[in-house]
Amino acid sequence: MKITADIARCEGHGLCEDVAPSVYELDDDAVVTLLHDVLPPELEPAAEAGARVCPVAALRIVP
Amino acid sequence: MRRVVVVGGSIAATTAVESLRLEGFDGTITMLSDEDVTPYTRVPLSKGLLAGRETEADVLLPPMSDGVDLRLRARAVGIDEARQVVRTVAGDVPYDGLVIATGSSARRLTAAGTHPQVLRDLPDARTLESLLPQASSVLVIGGGFLGMEIASTCRELGKDVTVIDREPPLERLLGPLVAARMRRAAEAAGVRLRVVDESFAVVGTDRAEGVRLSSGETLTADLVVSAIGDQPNVEWLAHTRLASPAGVHVDSRCRAARNIVAAGDVAVQRDGRLRRRNPSWTNAVEQARAAASALLRGDGATPYRPSRYYWTEQFGIDLKMVGVATADDPTSVEGSLESTPALMEWSADGDVHRVVALNHPARPAQLKRRVTRRIPTAQERTPA
Repeated sequence: MKITADIARCEGHGLCEDVAPSVYELDDDAVVTLLHDVLPPELEPAAEAGARVCPVAALRIVP
Repeated sequence: MRRVVVVGGSIAATTAVESLRLEGFDGTITMLSDEDVTPYTRVPLSKGLLAGRETEADVLLPPMSDGVDLRLRARAVGIDEARQVVRTVAGDVPYDGLVIATGSSARRLTAAGTHPQVLRDLPDARTLESLLPQASSVLVIGGGFLGMEIASTCRELGKDVTVIDREPPLERLLGPLVAARMRRAAEAAGVRLRVVDESFAVVGTDRAEGVRLSSGETLTADLVVSAIGDQPNVEWLAHTRLASPAGVHVDSRCRAARNIVAAGDVAVQRDGRLRRRNPSWTNAVEQARAAASALLRGDGATPYRPSRYYWTEQFGIDLKMVGVATADDPTSVEGSLESTPALMEWSADGDVHRVVALNHPARPAQLKRRVTRRIPTAQERTPA
């Protein structure tokens, strides 16, 4: 599984980071960054949960 | 607990499902949505989607995982608490644990027929989008976040826009200083803001064509939209003790009854001295996480504490805030409120209780950390 972040859509509300701090972090400009280039399988549920709370749907799950 | 049923199809319901799984629940989860599309975000409906910059595909949330039985067009019509079943238009669904996340609907001014357009869900957005090209003027009733966002988008589309409200737009939500700044941005963009007596009437024959004010003056527009708040979707619980017209009353862990929790726009919870709903995206997410945890852990779950993080985007200003608006001026201002970016803090007795950022890149987590006291007890008695 892979997560893609649409940086242009990100508004920096940080819900993804709240829900899944092991997967997402906002940078100094409050833009989402992915902490793993390759997502460890044990983090997949957290990654999915973080992606689904984005209020601007900037995070996509690629199976 | 083997079977959890989540009633609702928006972000509180979605987050509850995710949280149950993250908390280790491995029984079955059934999600009953009355919508005809999979969960989406309402946030862009008044902004990018209405402006035509975004498509419906852009607002859909990532599809639910295979481990969830998501049923669309499955409107819940009642509960039999003794038998532990949710009654739906498509039959009964048994539960051991229940999450009520049915959200709220747009409050309406008048009976169907001549009521103004509203913007709450995707079908509303589709309707508005189809009406906008033929409209050169728009009258927005309600100067809250949603009304002002609609006004901003309509102005961006070149419409002649008027907003009316009983109070100066945004005043209650943002306090006088910040609200005035946002109103200046709206007026600079060419929007007319009118404070009107509340005894106005919607006029029109087949559709809303305007409003008649108490002075006798009539304001007309090609398109009339109302954004005057929401009311909780509790009709389906009317035969139970779970809900009042104000919503589903829950305790500090979002519990409404044994094995029943509620979250999101439908839930009424104590907040300081008040019992109220807190209809916002952030609250829906946070409450749903707390509710899922309480359903599984009971008293062992952490009580809900709202972060009070809110935002809006309108007339070129991106506003993020933590805390509740008060009538006083900020105790510190970094940057310039007029030219932005600006970061304002309100503090009392050494504790910061409110932060507002305008066009400022501070991360929400940073803003939340700045707030050291969540409830401004003294100020709460004299809200803006």
